Amino acid sequence: MTSTTKDPSTSGASPDSDSEDDYMKMTFADEPSTTTSSKSGKPIETSLQRRLRLQREGEIRGRVKSKAELAAEEEARREAALSTSLFSKFVPSPSTAPSFTSPSSATVPPPPPPPTAAKSKGLAMMAKMGFVPGNALGAGATEGRTEPIKISIKDGREGIGLESDRKRKMREAAEAAGEMAKKARVDEEGYRERLRREREEARLERQVLAAQKVAEGMDEDHENEARGGGGEKGSGEGEVQKSEERDDTDGGNSQSRRRRTRTDSCRPLRSIPVVYRGLIRSREEARREAMMRHDLEQSSTLSSTRLPTYVDDELDMDDKHALGKDTTTVHRPWNTYVMAEDLDEEDPELDEFNTLSPDERLRRLVQYMRNKHHYCFWCKANYDDAEMDGCPGLTEEEHD
Amino acid sequence: MASHDDKGVKRSNMDGNDQDSKRIKRAENGDAAPEKYNPYLAHLNEDGNGNGTNGDFESPLDAFERHKTTAAQAAQAEDSELNPWTGQPHSQRYFDILKVRRDLPVHKQRQEFLDMYHNTQILVFVGETGSGKTTQIPQYVLYDELPHTNGKLIACTQPRRVAAMSVAQRVANELDVELGQEVGYSIRFENRTGPKTMLKYMTDGQLLRESMHDHDMSRYSCIILDEAHERTLATDILMALLKQIAARRSDLKIIVMSATLDAQKFQSYFYNAPLLAVPGRTHPVEIFYTPEPERDYLEAAVRTVLQIHATEPEGDILLFLTGEEEIEDACRRISLEVDDMIRESDAGPMKVYPLYGTLPPAHQQRIFEKAPEPLRKGGRPGRKVIVSTNIAETSLTIDGIVYVVDPGFSKQKIYNPRSRVESLLVSPISKASAQQRAGRAGRTRPGKCFRLYTEKAFKKELIEQTYPEILRSNLANTVLELKKLGVEDLVHFDLMDPPAPETMMRALEELNYLACLDDDGELTRLGGLASEFPLDPALAVMLISSPEFYCSNEILSIVSLLSVPSIWVRPNNARKRADEMKMQFAHPDGDHLTLLNAYHAFKGAETNGDDMKRWCHEHFLSYRHLSSADNVRAQLKRIMETHDISLVSTPFQDKNYYTNIRRALLAGFFMQVAMRESSNSKVYKTVKDDQLVMIHPSTSVTSPYDWVVYNEFVLTTKQYVRTVTNIRPEWLLEIAPVYYDLDTFEKGEIKSALTRITDKVKRRQAIKGSGSAR
Repeated sequence: MTSTTKDPSTSGASPDSDSEDDYMKMTFADEPSTTTSSKSGKPIETSLQRRLRLQREGEIRGRVKSKAELAAEEEARREAALSTSLFSKFVPSPSTAPSFTSPSSATVPPPPPPPTAAKSKGLAMMAKMGFVPGNALGAGATEGRTEPIKISIKDGREGIGLESDRKRKMREAAEAAGEMAKKARVDEEGYRERLRREREEARLERQVLAAQKVAEGMDEDHENEARGGGGEKGSGEGEVQKSEERDDTDGGNSQSRRRRTRTDSCRPLRSIPVVYRGLIRSREEARREAMMRHDLEQSSTLSSTRLPTYVDDELDMDDKHALGKDTTTVHRPWNTYVMAEDLDEEDPELDEFNTLSPDERLRRLVQYMRNKHHYCFWCKANYDDAEMDGCPGLTEEEHD
Repeated sequence: MASHDDKGVKRSNMDGNDQDSKRIKRAENGDAAPEKYNPYLAHLNEDGNGNGTNGDFESPLDAFERHKTTAAQAAQAEDSELNPWTGQPHSQRYFDILKVRRDLPVHKQRQEFLDMYHNTQILVFVGETGSGKTTQIPQYVLYDELPHTNGKLIACTQPRRVAAMSVAQRVANELDVELGQEVGYSIRFENRTGPKTMLKYMTDGQLLRESMHDHDMSRYSCIILDEAHERTLATDILMALLKQIAARRSDLKIIVMSATLDAQKFQSYFYNAPLLAVPGRTHPVEIFYTPEPERDYLEAAVRTVLQIHATEPEGDILLFLTGEEEIEDACRRISLEVDDMIRESDAGPMKVYPLYGTLPPAHQQRIFEKAPEPLRKGGRPGRKVIVSTNIAETSLTIDGIVYVVDPGFSKQKIYNPRSRVESLLVSPISKASAQQRAGRAGRTRPGKCFRLYTEKAFKKELIEQTYPEILRSNLANTVLELKKLGVEDLVHFDLMDPPAPETMMRALEELNYLACLDDDGELTRLGGLASEFPLDPALAVMLISSPEFYCSNEILSIVSLLSVPSIWVRPNNARKRADEMKMQFAHPDGDHLTLLNAYHAFKGAETNGDDMKRWCHEHFLSYRHLSSADNVRAQLKRIMETHDISLVSTPFQDKNYYTNIRRALLAGFFMQVAMRESSNSKVYKTVKDDQLVMIHPSTSVTSPYDWVVYNEFVLTTKQYVRTVTNIRPEWLLEIAPVYYDLDTFEKGEIKSALTRITDKVKRRQAIKGSGSAR
């Protein structure tokens, strides 16, 4: 920067006028262009509109964007910048020039004239040297380029040709699937259809899970009732009701789960009705794993050799001592958490159930609860008898 | 570089055809040689030509006629007992090297070269790396141009500083003269030439700078552009300039040297100049492609190296990767795997060496170490693996490489005028590059090249030639240089590959904003001054303006520190400690200030008489880069003094000490400013280009302001600004009112923010004004 541009008070023309004057001149010089453009442009905004707009904009600005959003925006901006020729920015095309002055042509909204459209000094200099936008540089002997080299950003470590290979494979797969032209339209619809179906299936799966929990809870309460007599009945029922509601909404309830694990841990899995056996089974598996990990951690802090799966009966006391196994914990029965002994066994019945479609599984669950507890999953209510008077029917639709 | 010496020694050992017993005799005599010319040995100059007078000693050169010499004549002069250039007796080493030189491929064509050279003004010379062209051709020219007769020099340009230095050293040895005397080099910030210098190796950029004051390059009788195929920015500009100068100066000879490939392009560019090609000393290389594209080229590369080690016969491996981090990672992985292989399957030992530009020279030298011996007698042979960036593609010759692994990527500089982003990006290489890489396997014996992509991908996805640098660079500096060189018509400047017009437009505009060019495109006084500095225009302008901010000493230091590679050392195994050390120097308001603090601490320790290498090591600073910053500073200071730019400082106690520096930064970098999107955001938006960026994690700025000035825009998968300093937006309006003219801004947050600030400043001034009026 030269000193002249930086310090307005010393800059040339008005040597002794005070700084305020000088400065006022500057603003007036700036004003007209901005005011005219705003007048010729859009309708004037009222203060209320303005306040609302500002508030809206503020909210948008205040929100913290997620990483993905940021990355996407970053890329979008980069691409936007990279794909816009500087000349299109700076060279006012003949069509935009008149519309700039006459805003009457409302049908064809003129592209907003860039504020810099008037002049790029760089371009002006080049024009002075005989440059015509659209042409290349150079002496003319060689074919110069008119566009800058594209930037492509590589992320990850994919080898050369992988991406195009992937595209090619996809294309080939699509071709192999059938006639492209016809397929294209169907595909689009098929895509929507598939999306819808997937969403529906996911929803059904959630409902199956919820229904399984309800069914389990009801069976349990039923058993407790049978065991403990009718004294708790009222409260028990209320609780079931509550947990059902919760299960239905969030699909998980720590309180009820705690209660259940206490009871079902000693039962063989086979005895559990197949409709919700899967739920118990996966819970048990998770629990076993957690406990094993816990055990492993516990033992490894004492001695790394003491794995819960490894007990060498051949070791005599000395060996055990040498291996650090002679502590009392060695004899601690680590199998305390054996609850479902048949956890590792094959269960064809369950497998078969699991292969059913989610709506069929849900149907069976609903049926199960109706039969056993006179309970309707959709009404969320117990009925007095098998007739279940008042319940509109078996399906969700009927409850709409 | 010692590499060339090593190579030389190795070759001379291999060299069996020692037909010339005379030379040995002479050499023996030479050992016991008397200090001055010995008449009893005169018969060894077969034709007795060395009787002419040449100043204070007799030299065989006295009989030479400029541009009429022959290879035989020159050979005789070279064989003579006394150095024809200095009159000193030749050393034993000289004759050892001479024997090696005579074995180089170019030597056989010396006469052919001279014949062509005599008959043309411009010559295109093609020879692969290893043909000896870089060291020999300039000497052939020397013996023909006879610089001592007309006082004109021979220049040979190199794209890289290191090459210029090492080749100059090598040629000084070959001519048996002291580096810096008859043979010298000149690179940015370092000039090692003297009044006796006849042959000067220099970077292409340096020749360009020189010609700013000598538009006709009248100091030179012959200019050799070496490695022209690399198409560096400076070489491209030089070619265009030399084309013009050649028309003005018929006495100037030009040789354009390239490694094969697009020789025709050079020929046609230089009015169909004649071509001389020297076959390289190469062996066939078998090329293998992968059947399927790779999911992870790094993993594939490591796997391939191990596979070669397990199954292929003896021979070293060269693996090309893109950057330091990747290379170090690969080295670690290979070393670990090899240890396993040795333990499990009795594989031979393997040494792994990284090679990249920022590696200290001592470490770079290690790549020339021999492959390790077998672990036991009769065991599997050892091997070395060099994991390198594309330095090893052209500029460095490593003997013993038999296997090349090429994933097909390199880091390339890229610039796009539309977003003004200049960055290094990992990109696929070109076919020409791939061939060059493959060729590296055939230097000693037939070799193999493993390309980690399919043959189809090679054919379809790789571009033919790497884009010349001029298409990938910001041209602000170049345009300034050209203006200074007196090139009026930049639009029709006859470049081999003219850049995109938008690039030129941006450059002109930037220079105009920096007030280096006026609105008519004429060089201003500031522009003329800025071109005197071997710096980017923004840095130069910042330096020139710094006295106005009372901190030219400090800005000078900062500019020097920004002109060298990063002074911060951050080894993988001690990142945390390195960061803690850096925090000692940290200034909360800016990385520029942190750099300055580190430099001041360095100078302080130096005055204390500390062991600087140790001090730097302890503080995780690069001694090498700090010293070179110191050197750069001294050079720049000299230029400042020559042009009466005063060196001033604000007293350190003054509360404006750092503020002045921060303001002074803006005098050059007002176009590299970013505004925070909102006060709770980490995202910034660059002014006028509207790019979203984050501050690079290496920053020491603890509480970033809403506005920052940045030194560089780094584009990886994310966009960062690196080396940032907090600034106040009012300063922008004050220091760069033309650039921050609000009418030139597109509507948006930045414009509204700046408008608010303008209003605020106005109000404040109004209050002040009315107050003072009262």
